[in-house]
Amino acid sequence: MRRASFLPSVDPFLLWLMGVVTAASLLPARGAAASAFDVLADIAIALLFFLHGAKLSREAIVQGVGNWRLHLMVLASTYLWFPLVGLATGAVAGGWVDPLLVSGLMFLTLLPSTVQSSIAFTAMARGNVAAAVCSASLSNLIGIVLTPLLVGVVLHPATGAGGFDWHAVRGIVEQLLVPFVAGHLLRPLIGKWVDRHKSILLPVDRGSILLVVYTAFSAAVVNGIWQKLDLADLASLLGLSAVILAAIMVVNFALAKLARLPREDAVVLLFCGSKKSLVSGVPMAGALFAPAQVGMVVLPLMIFHQLQLFVCAWLAARYGRAAPDAEAPVAAAVQEVLPAPAAPAVAPLVVPVAAPVVAPAAAATVGAPGTIPRAPEEIAAAASVRGLTIPPECAEGVSANLALLAEHAARLRR
Amino acid sequence: MSAVLAVSERVRAGDISATEVARHTLAALAAEPFNAVTRLLEDRALDEAAMVDQIVAADGDPGPLAGVPYGVKDLFDVAGLPTTAGSALYAGAAGAENDAEAVRRLRAAGAVLVATLNMDEFAYGFATINATHGTTRNPHDPTRLAGGSSGGSAAIVAAGLLPFSLGSDTNGSIRVPANLTGIFGLKPTHGDLPMGGTFPFAESFDDIGPFTADIADMRVLWEVLAGRSLAEVRGEPRVARLSGWFRENADPDVLAAIDAIAPGAPLVELPEVARARSAAFLMTAWEGGALHREALAREPMAFDPQVRDRLLAGALLPDEIGVEAQAFRAAYKAQVLDLIAGYDVLLAPAAPCVAPPIADPHIEIDGAPAPARAQLGIHTQPISFIGLPALAVPLYRLGRLPLGLQLIGRPHGEAALFAFAARLEEQGIVGSWEPGGAYRGAAA
Repeated sequence: MRRASFLPSVDPFLLWLMGVVTAASLLPARGAAASAFDVLADIAIALLFFLHGAKLSREAIVQGVGNWRLHLMVLASTYLWFPLVGLATGAVAGGWVDPLLVSGLMFLTLLPSTVQSSIAFTAMARGNVAAAVCSASLSNLIGIVLTPLLVGVVLHPATGAGGFDWHAVRGIVEQLLVPFVAGHLLRPLIGKWVDRHKSILLPVDRGSILLVVYTAFSAAVVNGIWQKLDLADLASLLGLSAVILAAIMVVNFALAKLARLPREDAVVLLFCGSKKSLVSGVPMAGALFAPAQVGMVVLPLMIFHQLQLFVCAWLAARYGRAAPDAEAPVAAAVQEVLPAPAAPAVAPLVVPVAAPVVAPAAAATVGAPGTIPRAPEEIAAAASVRGLTIPPECAEGVSANLALLAEHAARLRR
Repeated sequence: MSAVLAVSERVRAGDISATEVARHTLAALAAEPFNAVTRLLEDRALDEAAMVDQIVAADGDPGPLAGVPYGVKDLFDVAGLPTTAGSALYAGAAGAENDAEAVRRLRAAGAVLVATLNMDEFAYGFATINATHGTTRNPHDPTRLAGGSSGGSAAIVAAGLLPFSLGSDTNGSIRVPANLTGIFGLKPTHGDLPMGGTFPFAESFDDIGPFTADIADMRVLWEVLAGRSLAEVRGEPRVARLSGWFRENADPDVLAAIDAIAPGAPLVELPEVARARSAAFLMTAWEGGALHREALAREPMAFDPQVRDRLLAGALLPDEIGVEAQAFRAAYKAQVLDLIAGYDVLLAPAAPCVAPPIADPHIEIDGAPAPARAQLGIHTQPISFIGLPALAVPLYRLGRLPLGLQLIGRPHGEAALFAFAARLEEQGIVGSWEPGGAYRGAAA
């Protein structure tokens, strides 16, 4: 049976995460094996942040930084309104939800925004993609320092000695900051290689997260997580996640109105300002919390992550459909000039180029006519004019394939 | 005697009924261990076989393929069934109203369709790693790939479970799996065999063709599918060996075999092969992306993840690039046709190496590992780019992993290719053999 097209699918990576949690529940690493996994997880976290550093494009931030009012609003959403909502949720839930889960909920509100899905949803909703790239990247860059600091400030008094330990600062520097800075400083040397081999690096990236989650949940299982948790707890987490997400979206929606942001920028605020990064959050939790607590702490993040994908995909599709009519003829025109599947065999086929009919807003990011889109904002814009959305889980693969096609195009044109 | 002709002769002579053949074949296919079959067409096969038996009983002529069972790649229309092209996306689609034209011609010749066969989703790959149906295994070593995208069609013939099958070749999707599984596979002159009722991929290059275990079967199938007799071949074939690109990234055994087959034949270097292959790569991505753009917009997550990313990237290619590649192809084809005008058969590798392991589907290109799914066609892609006919033939190497080459002809020059291949087969240089090993018992 066909799935309804308006429903986003379950993130496949979430299925992997659930599989790993199940594996850790049935076969948790114990004793010497647990110690070995701890070491491996530490290495994986350092590797992840090295790659984050190498992948983050400073140029993208510099190019889009002119819209400073919007970026400040996104940063305020990520690092001010979110933590405040987190504190309020913690206060409300403190009495009836496990304290470590409350810590987890508050922890997720302190994390940086996602890069890939923020951009993808902004593109889907026909927002300002270039600004989304800058905002999301900036949020990630700042988060590497700000999130651990916020964890120290917000969670230490909230959870007492059992939660956050200021000695973890050394762990942050060693495991997160040093590899991140090293990766970023080496970007001039390895950046192109990293960009070209994103498809190879993706399994490293995701494998590392799975390793950290397995290690964390092994420790949590040994510590009795499933004796402490039941379905009611999970349902509570889902409900509280929904409340947090709804509160942030309402705040951002209202602020965008108050600040009279243009529609394209309001979309950026809504989507970049409401995301929390699983990819950053899991390793950060691994570095910041005691091994036995990490499993419980990341559980709310995993639930929130899927919820935000569902809600934002639905909202972005609605925004996309409601976008000003001026873009509809553009999409139709592009459809017309693109090759009909049955026809392109005739040579030489004179196909009008797409560039003249690209919407001005998109033209700014599509690049010169005949140029293969490479940067995330170019890809999102090119997809938008073809009526496509690049799902977040495809972003790396599409980018790697476009890189390969660009190599072939360069050879054709030499 | 060849498998196709052996079955046909016995059925026509009344030694065995088409129904018996169909029942036996269906039972064997139900237990096949190579993940080559996607759908068994039991009712249809028994109906078709019964019709052949009725004609034989009435002393009529059921056709040259009387009672011969066969399978088709999952992209041929089969009346009443959805044409899925190996994708879950179309598993629930409406059934095809009619058979594909090739299937109709085979049926008219007495052949009995028994199964549809596995492929890379939408034919976009050289590996037959399919998210819905799984990976097809190579009968000569089930831990290895069968190649693709027509991997199911190749594996089932290589295993001896069907005497022939149909596949499609856009960039090498018949020739590569034929080489990796040690059988014959034909990519005809572009457009010479009927494409009606097949799910397209990149129509500038798409062709259909048969897989067989010997050259006599290939000849009869070509004649049935083309609807005409092969031209008569006179005199000695003028043979050349392709050099340059086609002697790089090739297995030394294949190069040695080519040199042994035609030791004094001139070495011909096609110009700008790297550009040609890149243009083929780009046109394929561009046409494939355009073809699936609507479905990618509607249900991107229903695609095979590996194929989805490739198609999405293709859908984002600027039209200028597709048009440039088309223009280059027109000029390039004219240039190559001038260069090869004096030859009947050009010898070149088809697959660059033996079948890669399923556990590590990579091959070595220019000293670096490359994904088999995208790169196994480096020697086939430049040939289909200009629509030349090419016959993949297996080197006879009993007990070893299959390797082979492609015999490339001038447009509509299939007869010369078949004649040359028949001579090599007689000499024991090329030929297929049934895979050995313990699994053979399970497959038989």
